[in-house]
Amino acid sequence: MDSIYRFLGRSPKVRLGPLEEQLLEQVWKYKSATVRELLHRSHLKQAYTTVMTTLDRLYKKQLLDRVPEGRAFRYSPRYTQEELKKAAAGETIRLLLSSSPAASLPLSYLVEAVSEHDAALLDELQQLVDQKRRERNGEKP
Amino acid sequence: MFIARCLGVSLALFVLLYVPASLTVSQAWALLWQLFAPRTARGSATLLFALRALPFGLASVFTLVFTLPSFLLLEPRSTDEAVGAAPLMLGLCCLALLAAGIVQAALAQIKTSRALTRWLDGSTLLDSGVAVPVFRTIQDSPSLTVAGVRAPRVLVSEAAVAALTPPELRSALKHEMAHAKSYDNLKKLLFRFSAFPGMAGLERAWAEQTELAADDAAVSSFGDALDLAGALIKVSRLSARHLQAELTTGLLHSSTALETRVQRLVFWDKKPVSTTAINHWRRALPSLSAVLFLVIATYRPTLTGLHELTEWLVR
Repeated sequence: MDSIYRFLGRSPKVRLGPLEEQLLEQVWKYKSATVRELLHRSHLKQAYTTVMTTLDRLYKKQLLDRVPEGRAFRYSPRYTQEELKKAAAGETIRLLLSSSPAASLPLSYLVEAVSEHDAALLDELQQLVDQKRRERNGEKP
Repeated sequence: MFIARCLGVSLALFVLLYVPASLTVSQAWALLWQLFAPRTARGSATLLFALRALPFGLASVFTLVFTLPSFLLLEPRSTDEAVGAAPLMLGLCCLALLAAGIVQAALAQIKTSRALTRWLDGSTLLDSGVAVPVFRTIQDSPSLTVAGVRAPRVLVSEAAVAALTPPELRSALKHEMAHAKSYDNLKKLLFRFSAFPGMAGLERAWAEQTELAADDAAVSSFGDALDLAGALIKVSRLSARHLQAELTTGLLHSSTALETRVQRLVFWDKKPVSTTAINHWRRALPSLSAVLFLVIATYRPTLTGLHELTEWLVR
């Protein structure tokens, strides 16, 4: 659920267009679908490429998952309707009441949370510190 | 009815000043920061905090110095005038805003107290020889933090004590002491009390500058800088391993901030020129005197004008 909160925190992305909303509803309804299936089952009047682009946008907004199926993709919802509504409501209240997640508690940490993905960066920084330490020790008489 | 009108008008004018001031600050803080361009991280942190606190401070001072006296001195007590729809609505908005702030601050404080109780369970007080008590905790997370508003305490995990060398631990503790000395936790609580949408960017920038300022305060030589940089990396590794969901959800996952801090320390040259609080006051004194003189000189006409405005508002 963390990524949904991150997603909802980015205000421009939270706004869904009418077709995006409609397609998201349809994918929820059918559990999973390809573009062609959606066009066939939902009697959409949009062009194939329009639906394809819109689903791709929903995928990039992290609202849909997809797996390759032949030359197309099969889309499925990443979150249930209930999860999304709950997250959206929570985020709205948080935005109304709070002004910044960074200062949500009166605590000062030495470092902010760093994800596991930053291990390579930490290695690089450690190398830099070690190098500077060696240089410093080498300069000493 | 007189007291109700007085409250209604005061709260209405408070909100009429607070909301536009907050909106202005939320939009213009970056520009002002660029314009003033403080030379040190501490200067930046001070400026950003002043900007963040400005709307609430301005609205409070204006209410206490102008609005209340204008009503109490110039409004006849005998009139049986109603509060008026506009002051009533604005006053209720103001009360809702204040109540939300109190709830936010109280919840943050309660959550922190609970976490602190949990973290301190089984901890031992270290003889660190510094003013702020340092506790060694048996919990894995947080690795190193300073908690508490009135009586700050530094918490360092056993894992951090084991991972850091004595000079690294000393530098890291100095960093935490700097946070305690500049009352950063109290300032965070004040942000919660005066929460306003659109202030996230300003608060984040302030948080980053306080970290840099605490780094500066903890370092007095190149050796110290390298020790602190080493401590930052080691504690980051520990934090990555022991992310604590409920308290780190809201924190930024900012490797950029960490990289900036380490790079800054590794290329540490000399301690930035620090200006004392006395110097700040000396510089600000002429401006403050001028403002005070202006207020005194125009006080009576301002109160009259303001009273006319409130009369219009009540109608």
